[in-house]
Amino acid sequence: MSDPFDALRAPVVPEDPDAAFAAALRARLERAVLDPRGTTVSSTPTDTAAFAWPPTVTPYIGVPDGLRAIEWYVEVFAAERRGEPYVMPDGTVGHAEIGIGDAVLMLAGGAPGTSGDGPPGDIPRFSIHVQVPDVDATVERAVAAGAELVRAPGDQPYGRTGVIRDPFGHQWIMLTPPGRATRTRHGDIGYVTIGVPDTQRAKDFYAAVLGWRFSAGSVEDGWQAEGPTPPVGMWGGADAPEVQLCYRVADITAAVARVRAQGGEAAEPERKPYGQLAECTDDQGIRFQLWEPADG
Amino acid sequence: MRPDRGLALLELYDDALPHVYGYLRARCGSQPLAEDLTAETFLAAVAAVRRTPPPQLSTAWLVGTARHKLVDHWRRAAREERGLRLTHERGADYDDPWEAELDLLRAHEVLRALTAHHRAALTLRYLDDLPVPDVAAVLGRSLHATEALLVRARAAFRRAYEGAEDPQ
Repeated sequence: MSDPFDALRAPVVPEDPDAAFAAALRARLERAVLDPRGTTVSSTPTDTAAFAWPPTVTPYIGVPDGLRAIEWYVEVFAAERRGEPYVMPDGTVGHAEIGIGDAVLMLAGGAPGTSGDGPPGDIPRFSIHVQVPDVDATVERAVAAGAELVRAPGDQPYGRTGVIRDPFGHQWIMLTPPGRATRTRHGDIGYVTIGVPDTQRAKDFYAAVLGWRFSAGSVEDGWQAEGPTPPVGMWGGADAPEVQLCYRVADITAAVARVRAQGGEAAEPERKPYGQLAECTDDQGIRFQLWEPADG
Repeated sequence: MRPDRGLALLELYDDALPHVYGYLRARCGSQPLAEDLTAETFLAAVAAVRRTPPPQLSTAWLVGTARHKLVDHWRRAAREERGLRLTHERGADYDDPWEAELDLLRAHEVLRALTAHHRAALTLRYLDDLPVPDVAAVLGRSLHATEALLVRARAAFRRAYEGAEDPQ
């Protein structure tokens, strides 16, 4: 009857922490309680759970018990849950994503307790999710080349999507992601800006060294390098040459508050076609931008 | 905003702090980590008491919050361990029951050396004496997955403990 593990039971024994720590924490709490903005005093950012858009091609599997499968994969592959699974009213999992390394696994499945060899209902056992620039054009091309149309293209909150079965028996879920889709994650560099006094010289230099080609940008004497990742822009008229990095953040309002709290400067975020952008300077004078992709 | 709730938290601070810290210190084995998690617990409490409806503010509730912070920490640690896990994780190659009387000092050393997943499961189940469904809820897993995890964690503990007891 007795279990050796029972001996481990450890009721909470109060223990006084270091007095200086206790006093410092009390001071932090007082500031947090009195701070009208809420809880921005927290030392660690809590808004970093924004996920990169999945890679171009992603496996999509169907399973009997969706929630159980998610747990299994997360545990076995030490995978990352990408947000909450999309659970339907009947308990089936309509869509879920888990991150494994730099890739993503998508899945749909039955309600908890569903057993059997394969997924219930009309959920395919295996399909492939692929992102294409123009789902209508790709579906049309596929059908003309002998594919079976499973679901005609239609608009969804996450982009325009259609499904075909190819002549070799494989089902493809095609998606044209919305414009906000980005593979960058919170903290990643989303854009690089090179400011120079003479753009013609700089364009010639980087064209010769790296083979970059430039197209005219949206502002005067602004140029866009074609090809590199992350994208690189260049503008002229700078007093001194300067490279600025633009970082993706999950919550720009919170990130701007952190810049200020850490002794940096931040302008109010501005709305742009690609999201919100805030011009910032760190506490040693380095200029950079924060960017939150357009929401969805 | 309701500053009075925040002030109630500050009033509770002196009484609750040793409980929260003591709980964490006994389970995480490092003073700096216990201090970090204690700070996270109280700062999270400031945010929580502003929510509607507010939680029932008490020392027990703060210890529960600390438990979640500890589990979050182990979850992060588990991600960092992923490279190691393939070599460490083995099946449950023991059949219960296990006839042994644990030396607590050694048991805690063994516990500290386990992977974060196993350590989290055993801590919640045995040190905190939570029923398995509560362990499942704190870990955010199903009952089935939690039971399986506990079996593996017990096996890993036993393997490490017997290895530690009888080094050959």
